[in-house]
Amino acid sequence: MQMVRFVLGLVMTVVCLGLAGRRLMFLYRLGRTGQPVEPGRTSDTGAAVRAELAEVAGQRKLLRWTVPGVAHFMVFWGFMVLLFTVVEAFGALVWPSFQIPVVGNWPWFGFVEDLFAIMCVLALAIFVVIRIKDAPKNLGRRSRFFGSHLGPAWFVLFMIFNVVWTLLAFRGASINAQEVGPSGKMRFLEGAFASQWFAKLFEPLGQHTNEILETVLLLLSLAVLLVFTVFVTYSKHLHIFLSIPNVAYARRPRALGGLLPVYSNGKKVDFEDPGDDDLMGVGKIEDFTWKGLLDFGTCTECGRCQSQCPAWNTGKPLSPKILMMTLRDHALAKAPYLLATKGEDGEPTTALTDADKAEAQRPLVGPEGDETASVDEHGARGVGAVPFDMLWSCTTCGACVEQCPVDIEHVDHIVDMRRHQVLMEAAFPEEAGVMLNNLEHAGDPWGRGASARMEWAAPLDFEVRQFGANGEETIPDDVEYLYWVGCAGALDDTAMRTARAVATLLHEAGVEFMVLGEAEACTGDPARRMGHEFLFQMLAMQNVETLNTAGAKRIVVTCAHCFNTLANEYPQVGGHYEVVHHTTLLARLVAEGKIAPVHRVDAATTYHDPCYLGRHNRIFTAPRELLAAIPGLRVTEMERTKEKSFCCGAGGARMWMDENLGTRINLNRTDEALGTKPDVVTAACPFCITMLSDGVSQRQLEGTAAETVQVADVAEILLRSVKPEDVPTPVS
Amino acid sequence: MKIVVLVKYVPEPTATWKFAPDLTLDRGAVEGRLSELDEYAVEQAARLQEAGTASEVVFLTVGPAKAVDGLRKALAIGGDSAVHVTDAAMHGSDALATSLVLAKALEKTGFDLVLTGMASTDAEMSVVPSMVADRLGINQATFAGALSVEGGTVSIKRDSEGAVLEVSTALPAIVSITDTNPEARYPAFKAIMASKKKPVTTYSLADLGVDASSVGLAAAAVKVTSVTPTPARTAGTIVPDEGEGGAQLAEFLSSRGFV
Amino acid sequence: MSEVLVLVENTPQGIRKSSLELLTAARRLGSPSAVLCGAADDAAVASLGEYGAATVYVVPGTDGYLSVPAAEAIVDIAGRTNPVAVLVTSGPIGKDVAARVAVRLGAGIVTDATDVRSEGGVVTTSQTVVSGQWVATAQVTSATAVVTVRPNAIAPEAAPATPAVQTVDVAFSAAATGAKITASNPKVSTGRPELTDAAVVVSGGRGVGSEEGFGVIERLADSLGGAVGATRAVTDLHWVSHDLQVGQTGKTVAPSLYVAAGISGAIQHRAGMQSSKTIVAVNKDPKAPIFQVADYGVIGDLHKVLPALIDEIGKRKG
Ligand SMILES: Cc1cc2nc3c(=O)[nH]c(=O)nc-3n(C[C@H](O)[C@H](O)[C@H](O)COP(=O)(O)OP(=O)(O)OC[C@H]3O[C@@H](n4cnc5c(N)ncnc54)[C@H](O)[C@@H]3O)c2cc1C
Ligand SMILES: Cc1cc2nc3c(=O)[nH]c(=O)nc-3n(C[C@H](O)[C@H](O)[C@H](O)COP(=O)(O)OP(=O)(O)OC[C@H]3O[C@@H](n4cnc5c(N)ncnc54)[C@H](O)[C@@H]3O)c2cc1C
Ligand code: SF4
Ligand code: SF4
Repeated sequence: MQMVRFVLGLVMTVVCLGLAGRRLMFLYRLGRTGQPVEPGRTSDTGAAVRAELAEVAGQRKLLRWTVPGVAHFMVFWGFMVLLFTVVEAFGALVWPSFQIPVVGNWPWFGFVEDLFAIMCVLALAIFVVIRIKDAPKNLGRRSRFFGSHLGPAWFVLFMIFNVVWTLLAFRGASINAQEVGPSGKMRFLEGAFASQWFAKLFEPLGQHTNEILETVLLLLSLAVLLVFTVFVTYSKHLHIFLSIPNVAYARRPRALGGLLPVYSNGKKVDFEDPGDDDLMGVGKIEDFTWKGLLDFGTCTECGRCQSQCPAWNTGKPLSPKILMMTLRDHALAKAPYLLATKGEDGEPTTALTDADKAEAQRPLVGPEGDETASVDEHGARGVGAVPFDMLWSCTTCGACVEQCPVDIEHVDHIVDMRRHQVLMEAAFPEEAGVMLNNLEHAGDPWGRGASARMEWAAPLDFEVRQFGANGEETIPDDVEYLYWVGCAGALDDTAMRTARAVATLLHEAGVEFMVLGEAEACTGDPARRMGHEFLFQMLAMQNVETLNTAGAKRIVVTCAHCFNTLANEYPQVGGHYEVVHHTTLLARLVAEGKIAPVHRVDAATTYHDPCYLGRHNRIFTAPRELLAAIPGLRVTEMERTKEKSFCCGAGGARMWMDENLGTRINLNRTDEALGTKPDVVTAACPFCITMLSDGVSQRQLEGTAAETVQVADVAEILLRSVKPEDVPTPVS
Repeated sequence: MKIVVLVKYVPEPTATWKFAPDLTLDRGAVEGRLSELDEYAVEQAARLQEAGTASEVVFLTVGPAKAVDGLRKALAIGGDSAVHVTDAAMHGSDALATSLVLAKALEKTGFDLVLTGMASTDAEMSVVPSMVADRLGINQATFAGALSVEGGTVSIKRDSEGAVLEVSTALPAIVSITDTNPEARYPAFKAIMASKKKPVTTYSLADLGVDASSVGLAAAAVKVTSVTPTPARTAGTIVPDEGEGGAQLAEFLSSRGFV
Repeated sequence: MSEVLVLVENTPQGIRKSSLELLTAARRLGSPSAVLCGAADDAAVASLGEYGAATVYVVPGTDGYLSVPAAEAIVDIAGRTNPVAVLVTSGPIGKDVAARVAVRLGAGIVTDATDVRSEGGVVTTSQTVVSGQWVATAQVTSATAVVTVRPNAIAPEAAPATPAVQTVDVAFSAAATGAKITASNPKVSTGRPELTDAAVVVSGGRGVGSEEGFGVIERLADSLGGAVGATRAVTDLHWVSHDLQVGQTGKTVAPSLYVAAGISGAIQHRAGMQSSKTIVAVNKDPKAPIFQVADYGVIGDLHKVLPALIDEIGKRKG
C-alpha cells in the first residue's frame, strides 16, 4: 500500500505541477514581451522588503476594509500556516511518520496549525456571506463584484474549503492509524484539536479501515491541493503568486502624485528630438512594461477600486477593475501572436488561426463613437479592446490606486494609453481640442491670454508685487514666496476670490510675496493628464525657464493641480522648488500667530478633499486645522473623506470634456456634501470649487438645496474670520 | 493636380500687440502662429490630397524668419513641401508688394490651383487673393464656403445676401476658403515630427527676380501716419434700462449694421 | 475738381444706403461719379443725384459674374478720368473689386476705412485694426487711392446734383468672364443657421427663467437671422437641446454678433464665445462678468428689453 500511495502521489504531483509549470512558463514568456521598466524601479531592495512586509504580510490595504480585510488576513495566514501541513502531507507520502524537524513534534504546533485551518474556514464563511450579500444580482453596478468572474470565485472558495477539510480529515485518520516512528509518537497531533474531531469521527471504523482511510484521504487532499494549484495558474487567483513580485516592483511611495515621463525601451523620450522608433505611450498591449502586464495578471477582481471609482459610480463605462481584466483578457488572447516566432518582416512564421490574427489586428483602444462598445457584467467589448469612452472617463483621481491591495498602477496605465491616442492618433474627445489649442496659443485653458493675468488683483486695496514690473531680473531677497496664482486663480471669476483672499491673508501676515503676472503660463497639468506629453513638456520647460531665471526657490500655490505639477513633475524637467499649498502655509501662519482668526463665523461646513491635494499629495490636516482654528465654525465630515474622498469630476482634464454619460460626478459629490447640512461647502482647489458650485447651483435650482448654501475655498472662510469687512458677499 | 496654399504667419491674437516706431506691427515682440483663418485652406488641401484629387500640395508664405513655424504647422496638417520667401527688404510691405512677391513665387513653384484664407487675422484686408489672381492673369473664386474640384473645373459655394451662389471656373485658378469650411484637424505629435522632415525651400527676393526697391516700407503706397489704442473692449457701453433699453440696443445694432 | 469713382449697388428696393454713404464721403475728396453695374432706372439715377453724383457710369453686361468685370469697368473708366480715389463698400464683392483695381492702377489700397477725408490734397483714412484695439490713420501716396469703406461708418448726407448718365461698354477680358455664377439658390428659411457657422448668435442663460421664457431668445434670433445658443445651465435644465450649448464643453463660436441674455458670463461660457466680433449683453445684475466683455450692455430685465428690441427691429425693417 505504501508503494501504491507513493507512486500515485508522485504521478499526481508531477502531472499537476507540470501543468501549472507550463502555464507559469507561458505567462512568464508573455510578460517578457512587455517593455522594460523605467530605471530604478527594481533596484531598491530595502523598500521592496518593507512593502512586502506591510502589503503582503501585514495586508495593510486589505485591512482598511475591516470585515473582508480580516477575513482575507485569516485566509492568507491560514494558508501560510497550512503550508506546514502540506509539507507534512507530502512527507507522509514518503514516510508515514514524517514530522517537521525540531518544532514539528510539539503539540502546540499542531494546535496552531489546526487553529489557522479553522480560521480559514471561518473566513470562508464570511466571504460566502459577503458574496451573497453583495452579489451583482442584488446590487447591480453598485456591487464591487459586478464584472468579476463569479463562477471561478465561488469555485476557489469551494476548493479552499476542500483543501482544508481534506487535510484535517487526513490528519484525523492518521491519528487513528498512526504507527510510532523512530522519533517516537507524533505528539504534535495531540494539540491538533480539529484533526482530533475527525479522529473521533473515524475511530469506530477500526484501525485497519483508518489505515486505508489515511491513504485515501492523503491522496484526496493532495489531489485537491494540486488541482487547486493548477486552477490558480489559470484564474484570477494567480494573485496568490503574482502579488509578491507585483508589490516588490511597485512604484514608490505610491503610483500617485506626479506622472512618470514617457519612456520607450526603458529610456526617457526626448521630445525635442525623439528617436524614429520611440514609443509614445501605449498603443498596443505589448507596449506596456512587463510590470504593466504583471499588474493585469495580478488583479484579484476584488472590486475595491471599482467601488470607489467616480466614473463607475456615476454610470460611466469605466471601472478600473474591468479595465485591468480587459487588458489581461486581451493580452492572453493576443498571446499566440505575441509569442509566435517572427520572421525578418516581423510577421509570424507559424500559422495562426483566424481568431488569433483578428485579435492581433484589434486596436488596443477603440474608435470614438463605436456603437458596439459596451461595458457590462461580462467585461468590456467593442472594436478595440478598451472602448474609447472607457479610456476617457477617468478623472485620474487615484481612488483605485489608493485602494488596490496589490499595488496596481491604474492611473499610469490609463495615461499611457491616452498618450498614444493623443500623440500618435490625435484621437480624443473633440471638445478638449479647444483647451489644447488655448494652452498652446494663449498659455491658459480658456484662451484669455497673458494680458488678462493680472485682472484678479485689480480690486485689492494693496499692491501685489509683480515680477519684472520694476525691472528686476531676479526675485528680490526680501520676497519670501513666489505666489503661483494659476490660470483659474487669475482668470476664473470664482477662483479669483480665492486668489484675492490668499493674497490678502499673506499681506495681513506680513509675508512678502510676488507674482509672475504675464510671465506665468499654465503648468501643463490638463495637457499631461490628457496624454499630451509634448504640450506638457513645452509648457513645463517654458515655466521652469521663467522660474529658474527669476531664481524662484519657494513657491506658494492655491491650485491642487498646479501644486502637484510644480512639486512632483517639474523636477523631471529641471525645476526644483520648495512648493507649499496655501492651506499649509496659512495653517503655519495661524499657528505662529501671524494670522489671527478672531471673528466668529457662525456656520456649518464640510470639507471636500481635492484628489490632487489629498490622495495624490497626502495633505489632509492643514485645511482641517485652518477650519478648526476659526471660532464658531462647525465642521462635519462627509462619509467619503480623506483617502476615500470622492472626486469632484474635474481631474484628468475631464473639466474640459463634456460629461454626457451617466450622471454628473459633481452632483454625486455635491449631494453628499449637502447631506451634512452645511451653510458653506469648502474645498482647497479652484477646480473643485467650480465643480461644487456648479453642483450646488443646480440643486438650488431644483429646490433641493437651500438658496443660502455657499461654496468657498478654506482661505476665504479664514479671511472672514480675520477681516470680515474684506469679504464681499460671495455668490454661490 | 498641384495645389499651392498661401499661408500667413501672424501675431497670436491673444497676445498684447505692439507697434514699432515706424508704425509697422512689431512682429518680433509677440509670439506668432499660422493664421487661424488659413488653417481652413490647409485642411481643404489636405483633404483634396487624401481624396486623391491633388497629387501635390505645397505651402507658400512670405514672411520673417520665424514664419517657417507657420509652414511647419501647415505641414503637420498635410502637404508635401513648403516655400518660404523671406527678405529683410520685405519689411513694411503693403498688399501690392506682398501680392507681387507671392505671384512671382507662384510662377516659380507652378500650380494648378491656389488656395488661400479668406483674410489674414492681422491686417484682415481680404485682398491678397484677388491681387494675386490679377497679377497671374488667372481665374478667381473667392470666399468659398465649400469647394469641389472635378476635371479641370473648380466649383464653389459662396454666401451672398439672400442666396447661396454657385460659381465655377476653369483651372488654373485661385480660391479663398472661408471659416464655414471644416476646421483643421488637430495634428498628432507623429505628424508634427513627420513635418520636420518635409522640405522647406527658402527664396530671397533676388531668387524670385523681384527688385527690392519695389517692395518694403519705402515703396508702400499707403503711409500709416498714426496708430493709437482705442479704449479697450472691456470699457464697452453699459446702460441701465429705463424703459428705453430695447430701443437703445436696436440703435447700437443698427450702427454696427446688424439691423 | 478731379473725379472720385464710387462703385454703387442698385437693388429692387433702390440704391443701397452704403452706396449713398460712399457718395457722401467721395464729395470730401472731389467730384463723385457713380459706377453702376447693370441697368440704370430713373429712380436709381435720381437717388444717386440726390447724394451728389455728378456722373453716373452705367456698365452693362456684368450679370452672371462676381466682381472681375466690375473691376475691369472701373479700370477702364479710371484710365480715361484719372480719379483721385476709387471708393467701394467693404464686403466680399467690394474687396475683390478694390484688390483688382489697385493692382491694375498700381494704387495704394486701404480696406475697412471708417473715415475718408482729404488732408492737404492727400487721401487720408482712418481704420480700426487688430480687432478694434487700435485706430490707424493712413495716407495714400499714389495718384489714385483705392479705399473700401465700412458700411454704416459715415452718415449719408444729401447734396442734390443732376448727374450725366453715360453708358460704358467695356470689352471684358477672358479672365474677367472666366468665373461664372452657375446657380443662385435663394436661402429658403429652412430654420436657423448652424450654430458654429452663424454670423449672428443669440444665446440665453438661466436668467430667461423657464423653458417658455426661452421663446424670447428664439424670436430675437429669428428677427436677426441668427442661430440660438445657450449656457450649460440651460441645457442641463433641458430647456433647449444639448447641441446648443456654447462654451468650454460645448460649441465654440465666433460670430460677428453675439447677444448674451440672462447669462452671467462664467469663464466656461466665455471660452466658447469670447472671439465674437461684437458682444451684446442683457443682464439685470450690473456686476455680471459678461459686461466685462460686452461692447454694449443693457442692465435690465431681459423679458422687457428683448421684446422691445424685437419690436424696434421689426419697425426698422419696415
Ligand atoms: C495693422 C495693419 C494694417 C495694414 N494696413 C494696410 C493697408 O491699409 N494697405 C496695405 O496695402 N497694406 C496694409 N498692411 C499690410 C498687409 O498686412 C500686408 O501687405 C499683407 O500681406 C496683405 O494683407 P492681409 O494680411 O490683410 O492679407 P489678406 O488679403 O487678408 O489675406 C488673404 C489671404 O492671402 C494669403 N496671404 C496674405 N498675406 C500672405 C503672406 N504674407 N504670405 C502668404 N500668404 C499670404 C493668405 O492665404 C491669406 O489668408 C497692413 C498691415 C497691418 C499689420
Ligand atoms: C466642467 C464644467 C464645464 C462647463 N462648461 C460650460 C459650457 O461649455 N458652457 C456654459 O455655458 N457653461 C459651462 N459651465 C457652467 C458655467 O460654469 C456656468 O455655471 C454657466 O455658464 C452659467 O450659466 P448662466 O449664465 O446661464 O447662469 P447663471 O450663472 O445662473 O446666470 C444667470 C444670469 O442671469 C441674470 N438674470 C436673471 N434673471 C434675469 C432677467 N430677468 N433678466 C436679465 N438677466 C437676468 C442673472 O443676473 C445672472 O447673471 C461649465 C461648468 C463646469 C463645471
Ligand atoms: S483614477 Fe479615479 S476615475 Fe480613474 S479609474 Fe481610478 S478611480 Fe476611476
Ligand atoms: S485592480 Fe486592484 S483593487 Fe481593483 S479589482 Fe484588481 S486587485 Fe482589486
